[in-house]
Amino acid sequence: MNSFLVVVKKEIGSVLRDGTIIIAVLIQLFIASFSSALLLGMLSLYDADTILKFGGAGIKIGVVSAPDDLLGSMMSERGLKVFNYGSLAEAESGLYNREVTAIIVVPEATGKSSEIQLYLPDSDTFSSLIRMVIQEPLKQYENHLRGQNGIDVRYTDLKGKPATSFEFVYSVMIPLLMFFPAFVAGSMVIDSITEEVENNTLQTLLSAPLTINGMIAGKIAATVIVAIVQCITWLTLLQVNGTIIKNLIWVILLALIIAALAASFAALGAVFFKDRERSQFVYSLALLAMVSIGTLLNLSPITTMSRLAVGDPYTSGWNIAVFAVLLGALWLLLWKASRRLMT
Amino acid sequence: MNQILVIAWREVTRLRKRFSGGASPLAVIALMIVIGASSYFLRDTVSLGSGLYRVGVFGDVPSITDTRFSVVEVKSADEGKSLLDEKRIDVFIDGAQVTYREDDKSQYALKSLKQYLETQEIVRVGKTYEYNLAFPLRVGINYLPLNRPAGQDPQQETPPVEKPKETIIPSLTPPPAPFTQVLVALLFIMPITFISIFFTSSFMDEKINRRLVILLSAPVTPFQIIFGKMLPYAIFALFGVAVVAAFTGGKILLSLAIFAPTILFIFAIYLLVPLFYRTFKDTTFIAMFVTTMTTAYLVFPAMFTNANDVSYVSPLTLAVKMYRNEPFGWREYLFPSVPMAGIFIFAMFAGTRLLNEEFLMGYKPISKKIKDAIYLMMAHSKPYIAVPLWSLITIPAVYMTQVVFLAFATNLPFKLILGAVLFGSAMVEEIVKSVGIIALAEHRVISSARSIFGLSFLSGLGFLIGEKLLVAISISMVSDARVAGALFGAGLLLLIPLFAHFFFTSITTFLTIKLKFPYTLSLFITTVIHFIYNYLILRGS
Repeated sequence: MNSFLVVVKKEIGSVLRDGTIIIAVLIQLFIASFSSALLLGMLSLYDADTILKFGGAGIKIGVVSAPDDLLGSMMSERGLKVFNYGSLAEAESGLYNREVTAIIVVPEATGKSSEIQLYLPDSDTFSSLIRMVIQEPLKQYENHLRGQNGIDVRYTDLKGKPATSFEFVYSVMIPLLMFFPAFVAGSMVIDSITEEVENNTLQTLLSAPLTINGMIAGKIAATVIVAIVQCITWLTLLQVNGTIIKNLIWVILLALIIAALAASFAALGAVFFKDRERSQFVYSLALLAMVSIGTLLNLSPITTMSRLAVGDPYTSGWNIAVFAVLLGALWLLLWKASRRLMT
Repeated sequence: MNQILVIAWREVTRLRKRFSGGASPLAVIALMIVIGASSYFLRDTVSLGSGLYRVGVFGDVPSITDTRFSVVEVKSADEGKSLLDEKRIDVFIDGAQVTYREDDKSQYALKSLKQYLETQEIVRVGKTYEYNLAFPLRVGINYLPLNRPAGQDPQQETPPVEKPKETIIPSLTPPPAPFTQVLVALLFIMPITFISIFFTSSFMDEKINRRLVILLSAPVTPFQIIFGKMLPYAIFALFGVAVVAAFTGGKILLSLAIFAPTILFIFAIYLLVPLFYRTFKDTTFIAMFVTTMTTAYLVFPAMFTNANDVSYVSPLTLAVKMYRNEPFGWREYLFPSVPMAGIFIFAMFAGTRLLNEEFLMGYKPISKKIKDAIYLMMAHSKPYIAVPLWSLITIPAVYMTQVVFLAFATNLPFKLILGAVLFGSAMVEEIVKSVGIIALAEHRVISSARSIFGLSFLSGLGFLIGEKLLVAISISMVSDARVAGALFGAGLLLLIPLFAHFFFTSITTFLTIKLKFPYTLSLFITTVIHFIYNYLILRGS
């Protein structure tokens, strides 16, 4: 036991001394801030609600239509500023005098279908914004025309709150911050084991009172500790930032088990291949494969993590138990295979 | 040439030996099949927010296959409502009737459900009714110039358009965000990154068993070694690009043209990893860092294809355009490609200078290694040539860093971020201009005040020439020219920025070399002054 602790201490010491773990933390910080910046940018360009909230005042639509036509009022209800004109010539003057930014011409209803004309300014950025915000009223108008044709479209009057940020935080950000340290832990175990083999220091290490399994377990434990410290830090920062995380203990336990799974699996790879190049390559490929198989089989730690964090009533410790069983099986395999390193 | 081919062939043999025999080739093939097959099955089902919502259904409800929703089938409407009240489900659908709560989670679920069910309804309507009845609205899209064309009578309208530029059906218009195309374009990057990791491993392998040192003593130049080792991997990467293009329905030749500079760029970065690493863990972390940064650099701008011209800094934007069948010209092609090729040339130069036994085998703190590397690159010729040349050829790297900042800034119009961008850009510029002179001073190549000021002037001059060259091709592409102007110093007489560059660099070098300030402190002082200068230009324009 004592020698096991010595290995753990030595490994953690070397991680701290090299200072390279700082890069891993920086990467996570970068990914997190970068992806939220990306989300914010995407929302401000592609989400009609956000555009209307922050830049909607600049979008003014000139409408040329029959007085009883509904499209104008549908756009007003959506929060757009609408100006009515008698003819296209008047509306064009309005556009060039900067009274409006786009023109819609609605002809008199002609039977079953209708073709309206939209005039946009010849500027890619601005015209795509306008197209984005009038999409919803146009769909509404289309449903209105369908209704006149006797076709009933259901579920059109539902509202709700824009969910993109909520979905992003619970299904991307939290799993990312909880599992990225696990991925790093696996890579570190491979480096640590193969470095002993390739630099021929393994035999020296084993001449100390230390078994091969003790050495591997020590290396795994050290990286898992480093991973879990990162996870707890992220959870604290997220909560300070106002993100509510339910089932905190289960969340940490799942992160711990996944880190141990990744590290043990990586160790198994290193035991088989004994060199860094192949072990790292197969490890990265296998992780990708496992994520996709897990998703296919509806047994994804990512979904489990999202559900735990959001407080899903049907998800509990039992969902984590599956991964714990997997971990047990993997350790058994590693225990048996580890002697390969000596040959 | 012959030597390069010999080294390239040796590389292929090495790789073949490593992955032949035993279980590894089988494992690799099996894993690749699993990844390919599962991504094929998952391509339409995975979305943001997987597994977040529980929806109760009763009666005639369209089947819900979106991964965001887990469906709970209930036996009666009352059961559904009581589950909703107990917060065991987020929304309850009873036929056409949808019940929800007022709390946030239920409201988020409702909004997401609305988007999904609407699409399902459109599919149902489209299948049930005649096309023109199901889709009764056509919208003709026309474009008008921003200002009234000269000579047009205000009373007269533009002649009625005979044929609009495009006609859309609102409910069938795909979302404008290029998510899907960016994800497809990202498929090109995966094989390139994987292959470049092998390239890195090869160098490390030979560094550990000291074969590289033996190779260096043979009559081949470092350039031949690097190029020969890179050649097979570059060919594999090009092949990978062609395969991805063929499978995703892209144009093969165009994809090769788009991604060739990207391959050079990624290889250039991965070339520097084995030169600087000290332990295996270093390599892992540096490689992870590099992968994250390059992916971010490539993906972020591409998400804004057609929304902002800055998106052209990434070649993925060109790929997105290819998949959307939209044309692009030479300027758009060169805008991302020239800096990437520039970085490659710079990395090759650095590689040939650093590929020597002493540098490769030394174990020193990483900052010391970087300083040594800069000195080795400077020491090839007289300081008055090396210093301006250094400033000139590092411009693509500076430019890429600044453009990443700019991409953030033009899309996120917050004052704080703009401030950080200006500060960050100023710092990057100041590092590049001063670091060479500091490295020379540390090796006692220069020491007098005269040489410090002289070299600071030359460094500023080299930087100015490089930046003006780049401005020439980039300034008109960047839509927010005001920000670009402050960053790249356009729109001013040449003498003022030259003096400014000279002045800033002199402060850093003089404080560090003569007054023995720590480099970080003198850099900080200069950056603050440079930041104020940039800020004043921005306000002035």
